[in-house]
Amino acid sequence: MQLNIGSSIKRIVLLWLLLFFMVPVSPCPAKQTLNARKILDRVDDLFRGKSSKGIMTMKIVTVHWTRTLKVEWWSEGKDKSLMRILAPKKEKGTATLRVGNDIWNYLPKVNRIIKLPSSMMSASWMGSHFTNDDLVKESRMAEDYTFELTFRGKRDKGEILEVTCLPKPDAPVVWGKVLVVVRSGDYLPLKILYYDEEMKLVRTMYFSDIGPLGNRTLPRIMRIVPEDKPHEMTEITYEKMTFDLALPARTFSIRSLRR
Amino acid sequence: MIIRLAWRSLWRNKRRTLITVCSIALGLTFAIFFIALAEGAYEQMIEQMVRIQSGHITLEHSEYREAPSVDLWITVPSRLRSHVEKWPAVEETKLVILGQGIVKSGAGNMAAAIMGVEPAVEKTSSPVARNIIKGKYIEPKDNPQVVVGSEMAERLNLAVGKKLVIATNDISGTLVEELCRVKGIFRTGSEEVDAYVIQMPINFARRLFHLPRGGATQMGVILKDPGDQKQVMKRIKGRLDDRPISVLSWQEVMPDVATYIKMDKGSNLIFQGILIFLILFTIFNTLSMSVLERQREFAMLLAVGTTARRLKLQVFTETVYLGLIGCGVGILFGGLAVVYGHFYGINLSAIMGESVNISGFALSSKMYTKLSFGIFFNSAVAVLAATLLLGLVPMRRAARINIVDTLR
Amino acid sequence: MITVAAISLNVAVLIASYGLMDGMVKHLISNVTNMVTGEVQIHAPRYLVDHSMYKVVKNPTGIMERLGSRSIYGVARSYGYGLVACGNKSAGALFWGVDPAMEKKYFDLAEHVATGRYLGSVPRKEIVVGRKLARSLNVKIGSEVVLVVQAADGSLGNDLFTVRGILKAAGDRIDRDAAIMHCQDFEELFVSGGRIHEIALNTRGAVSLAALEQLAAAAAPGTDVKSWRQLMPALSDMVNFFDAGMWLFGMIFFLAAALGVMNTMLMSTFERIREFGILKAIGTSPWRILGDVAAESFALSLVSTVIGGIIGIGLSLFFMHKGLDTSIFIPGDAAVSVSGIAFDPVWRATISLKTILSPILMMWFISLIASLYPAAIAARLDPVKAMARV
Repeated sequence: MQLNIGSSIKRIVLLWLLLFFMVPVSPCPAKQTLNARKILDRVDDLFRGKSSKGIMTMKIVTVHWTRTLKVEWWSEGKDKSLMRILAPKKEKGTATLRVGNDIWNYLPKVNRIIKLPSSMMSASWMGSHFTNDDLVKESRMAEDYTFELTFRGKRDKGEILEVTCLPKPDAPVVWGKVLVVVRSGDYLPLKILYYDEEMKLVRTMYFSDIGPLGNRTLPRIMRIVPEDKPHEMTEITYEKMTFDLALPARTFSIRSLRR
Repeated sequence: MIIRLAWRSLWRNKRRTLITVCSIALGLTFAIFFIALAEGAYEQMIEQMVRIQSGHITLEHSEYREAPSVDLWITVPSRLRSHVEKWPAVEETKLVILGQGIVKSGAGNMAAAIMGVEPAVEKTSSPVARNIIKGKYIEPKDNPQVVVGSEMAERLNLAVGKKLVIATNDISGTLVEELCRVKGIFRTGSEEVDAYVIQMPINFARRLFHLPRGGATQMGVILKDPGDQKQVMKRIKGRLDDRPISVLSWQEVMPDVATYIKMDKGSNLIFQGILIFLILFTIFNTLSMSVLERQREFAMLLAVGTTARRLKLQVFTETVYLGLIGCGVGILFGGLAVVYGHFYGINLSAIMGESVNISGFALSSKMYTKLSFGIFFNSAVAVLAATLLLGLVPMRRAARINIVDTLR
Repeated sequence: MITVAAISLNVAVLIASYGLMDGMVKHLISNVTNMVTGEVQIHAPRYLVDHSMYKVVKNPTGIMERLGSRSIYGVARSYGYGLVACGNKSAGALFWGVDPAMEKKYFDLAEHVATGRYLGSVPRKEIVVGRKLARSLNVKIGSEVVLVVQAADGSLGNDLFTVRGILKAAGDRIDRDAAIMHCQDFEELFVSGGRIHEIALNTRGAVSLAALEQLAAAAAPGTDVKSWRQLMPALSDMVNFFDAGMWLFGMIFFLAAALGVMNTMLMSTFERIREFGILKAIGTSPWRILGDVAAESFALSLVSTVIGGIIGIGLSLFFMHKGLDTSIFIPGDAAVSVSGIAFDPVWRATISLKTILSPILMMWFISLIASLYPAAIAARLDPVKAMARV
C-alpha cells in the first residue's frame, strides 16, 4: 500500500502554529470548518512527501487463505511508484511500476514484463483488499467532500475529534459518507469509516502503533476490514520509511522493473 | 364452339368440377399462405434485429469495424441528418455512442459496455427500453442518469436512485470518472446484456468521453421499406464527399445474421418445394381421375365422329377453365388469409408464451404474413401453368381411348 | 390403383416432411447444446452467482461414475479468472481447465477451431483462445503469452503458455474471454488441487431433458442442477419460437395432404355411383351398400396408408442418415454463428412415433370419411339417376 507523498515543510509548520493557537471548544462555525479542513488535509498528506521509499509488511487474511508479503517501495510526486516483493520466496522479485495511469508488472518466474489493461484498475492488488485504483488515485478529501467537525471529546482511551464528510453532489465517489476519526492534539488518524449511500458501513480503516517513521511520527500499522466479511482483513505494517530523498530518474523506468 | 361445349360439359357434372376446382383453389391458397408466412417471419426478424442494432444502414468511422474504440468517432452534421430524415424512404435515424468502462459502487466494480443513446428513438425499438422492471427509462435531459441491467444491479447492489461511478478513457485516452444515478433497471433475459450494458442519454455520453457536439460512434438509418436499402445507401454516400466515413448495410454489420437467414431460407425453399409438389400431385391426380371417370363419355363422342383433335381441344379448354376459376378462388381465399395474417397476425402465444427473447431481441409471439402482390401473382401463375401442363397428360389419354372396349 | 398410389404418396410425403420439421427443431437444439453447454449442467449451489473459485462440485468422479453407469456421459471443467498478456497488450480472461479427450468426445467445440488446433491429450502449457480475445491481444498460432492469475492459495500464479488454437465465433462471451487449457496445466497454474466447478452432460438427444435432470439430481445430491433451458433462457425462447413456426407449417402441410387424400377418395367413390345404382336396383339395401363401401375403403385406406407409411419411413431414414446440406445456399465458407450457436448446415430428419403414427392415422381417418360421404349419397339415391350418371 502506498499513498502519495508531496507536502512541504511550510505546511507542517503552519499546522503546528494553528494547533498552538487553537481553542479547544470553538463556538465559531467558520473556525470549526477550518479545523475540519486541516484535519482532512493532514490525513491526506500523512504519507506524502516529494518522494519516499520504504519497506512494509502486508498481511492478508481471507476466508480461504492467509498470506504475508514483504514489500519494498519507492515513490515520487503524485504519479510515480515502484513496488517490489521481497518475500515470500515464490514471489520474490515480482514488481509493479506505476507511471501516470499505466501499470506494469514484472514476473520473475517467467522473466517477463506485462502491461495491465485499464480494466484491471479495479482489481485487487495482490489479492489484498486494496485495489490498483487505491494505489493510483490521487484523492483530495477536502475537494470531493463537504465536511464538518461532529464530535470532540473522550472515546475509548483518548481525546478524539471526528469529522463527518459527505460527498459533494457531483463528486465521483462511491461512498455515501466517510467518517474520519483522529487524535486531538496531533490529528493523527485512528479510524476511517466508509459508508455506502444507504449509510451502511462498508469498510473500516484502522491506524495504530503510532511512533517514529522516517523523520515523522506516524501510525505504522494500517488495517482495512470489510464489513461484510469481518474475519477478513489486510494489514500493512510500515517497517522503514524515508521521506523526501533524491531518487534517480531511472528508478521509475520499465528497465528498473527487472532488477 | 368448342369453348361453349367445354363450358357446358364442365357444368353438367357439377360435383366433379367442384372437386377439381377446389383442389386447385385450396392448393393455391395453401401455397400463398405458406410463402407469405415464411417471408413475413423473416422480415419480422430482420426488422426487429435491425432496429435494435443501428438500423438498416449504419454510418461509422471507416476504421471502426476493424478495431472498435470510442476514439474512432464521426461527426454527422445536423444538416445532413435532418436532410436524410426527410427522405420518404427513411423512417428515422439515430445516433449512438459506444464505449467501454468500469462501473463502481460501494459494493464493488464491474466492466461495462457504455451506450449513449437517444431515448426518444430507442424507446420504440430497444429491448432495453421495453424491458424496464424497476424505475423508468431515461429521458433526453436526464443527465446524469443511467439504466443498468438486473445482473449488474444485483452484483453491485444498485437500486433505483442509488449512485455509481463510471470510470473510462475519453477520446484522448485520459482517465475520466463521472458520478451518475440509476434511473431504471432492465431485464432483457439475456445475461450478457443484463450484466454488461449500461445506457445513458447521448449528451451525457458526449460529456463523459469529451466528444464534440454532434459526435457519435455510429449513426443508424431505419427505412420504411427495406427494399430501398441500396438506393438510400447510394444517396448517402453521394453526400459524404471524402470524409473517412463508411456506409454499411445491415448485412455487413451483422454478417452472421445475414448468413443464417440465407441458410434458413434455403431450408424454407425445400419446404415450399415439397408443398408445391404435394399440391401439384393432387391437381394432377384430380384431373387424371376426372378423365378416367368420363371414359364412356369420351368413347361415345369419338364413336359419333368427334375427331381426336377436337376432343383433345375440348378437354384442354376445360382444363383452362378449371385452372382459371381455381386460381381465381385460390387468390381470393389465399389473399384473405394473408391480409388477416398481415394486419392481425397469427397469435402463437398458446404455444410460445407471451413474447420471445432472442439474445435480447424481444419478438412478439405473433407471426405476420407478408403482404405482397408478387407472392399472389407468382404463385397463381405458377399453379395455373402447372395445371395446364399437368392437364396435357390426361388430355392425351382421353384421345387414345379404345372406343370398343370402353363402350362395352 | 391410382387411389392407392395417391393416398400412399400423400402419407409418405407428410411423414417425411414432419420428420424434417421435427429434425429442424432438434437440430436447432443440438446446435445450441452440442457446442459446449451440453443438456444439463451441475454446479455447487450459488456458483453461478459469482463464479467463486472456492465453490466446487464435491466428489465429481463419484458423480460421473454414477451417471456413467446409466450411460450418461459428460465432462468436468474448472474455471478461474486472470490475465493474458502478449507483448504490450493484455486482457482479462476466464481460464478453463478441461480434459481434451473427453471434450472432443462429447462436445463440438474442439472442432470449432478457426486456426491452429484444439488441445492435445498431453499437457504442454498451451491455450486455445476465443476469437475476439485473440484479436485484442494480437496473437497468432505459436505466440507466447504470459498468464497471470490469483491462485487458490492467494499467491500470484504466472507462467508462459503458447497459443495452440483460435476458435471460430462461438458466442460473445466465449469469443471475448475464453482461454482453454489442459486441466493439469490449470491445476499447476491455479494451485487448484483438482477443483471442479462444473460438470456438463451431453447425450446428444438420446435422453429426454426431464429424465436427464432427474438422473443428474439423483447422482449429485446437494448440487445445483440446471438444464440448458434454464442456463440459456434466451436461446430456449428462440427454440420455442421455431417450434411454433414448425407447428404452423406442419398444419399447412397436413391440410394439403388431407386435401389430396380426400380428393382421391371422393372421386374414386363417386366414380362408382353407377355401380351403386345397379346394386340398389337389384335390391341391395342402402345400409348394405354403405357397409360394403365402408369395409372396402377401410381396407383400401389401411393398405394405402401403410404403404405410404413404409415409404415415408424410408424417406425419413434416408434424410436422417444423409441429411440435407443447406450450405449450398451459403456463399463461400462463411461460418454461421449467431449469439452463441454455431449452425451445422446439414439438416437431418428425425423419426419418432409422433412423426409416423399421426400422419398415418389422420390420413386413414380422412380417407375413410371421404369415402363414406359419397357412399351415403349413393345409398339414398334413386337407382335410375345413379345409373344414368356418366
